[in-house]
Amino acid sequence: MSPFKREENGEISIEISTQESHVLISLTEQLLELLSQGDSLAEAQDPLMHIVGISESDALPEDPVLRRLFPDAYEDSASSSEFRRYTEYGLREKKKAHARIIYEALTSQGEPEEITGGNTPIDKGSFKLIINSAELLDWLSGLNDLRLALAVRLGIGGNQQESADIDTKAIHNKYELMLESDPMKAVYAVYSWIGWLQQGLLEEISPE
Amino acid sequence: MALGTATQVDSEVNLKADRPWVCIVWDDPVNLMTYVTYVFMVLFGYSKEKATELMFKVHNEGRAQVSSGTREEMERDVQRLHEYGLWATLQRDNEY
Repeated sequence: MSPFKREENGEISIEISTQESHVLISLTEQLLELLSQGDSLAEAQDPLMHIVGISESDALPEDPVLRRLFPDAYEDSASSSEFRRYTEYGLREKKKAHARIIYEALTSQGEPEEITGGNTPIDKGSFKLIINSAELLDWLSGLNDLRLALAVRLGIGGNQQESADIDTKAIHNKYELMLESDPMKAVYAVYSWIGWLQQGLLEEISPE
Repeated sequence: MALGTATQVDSEVNLKADRPWVCIVWDDPVNLMTYVTYVFMVLFGYSKEKATELMFKVHNEGRAQVSSGTREEMERDVQRLHEYGLWATLQRDNEY
């Protein structure tokens, strides 16, 4: 059952376990770090340009995740670079804001209560929170950015030429058949789970 | 009658000259179909029917033109689509 639910008063709530919440907190934290790469450097180079949102760098980012999150806008590289120079900073800030909304909503729940089972503390708690209606789109696109980032690490659709030919079923089978000990299998499980979360949220907010 | 037809042709030409850029969305294996449809509805104000049709065009044909207008307008659309993680580019209409 989807953790997202429309309450009687029309508000959307999410109810998840603290363990699941920790996964999302950790991922959004990593995404925020990645999106902040080079920020202080750019600021040091030219504070004024930084304030007005123009970056000195117009090159395609080196990290493949950033390349997927900030793709070229034009087919020719000169126009793409120009576009990037004027828009990438603002776009980074918007993506950071989406991720931060998820991060802050989940961390605002405070430290989870731990229920001790035997010698090992097992975290069985879950909590429910109401998502501000103005922040639903941030949640949706924030979850999407997490999926895009994980997909790049999993080798799913990293570049435009390949993407159209990728068979999602084949990818699914590949990870399904992977040994449990392979860490990429766990990454794929998280990727699928976030897709399921996103789908659940879409079902609650999409008009009929 | 002939005059009327000529006028109509002229206005069509003008209309085209005013809207020489298009925004293209490309297929990718990550974005959920329901998500792409939803983004088209929210960003462009398209009906669910039109948004779904465009999403299927992207999915089946590898790409679809989702909007047209001036270069500035299309740059804004591409930027908003990138904000929501869709793979979008802009180009002159005649290149499409």
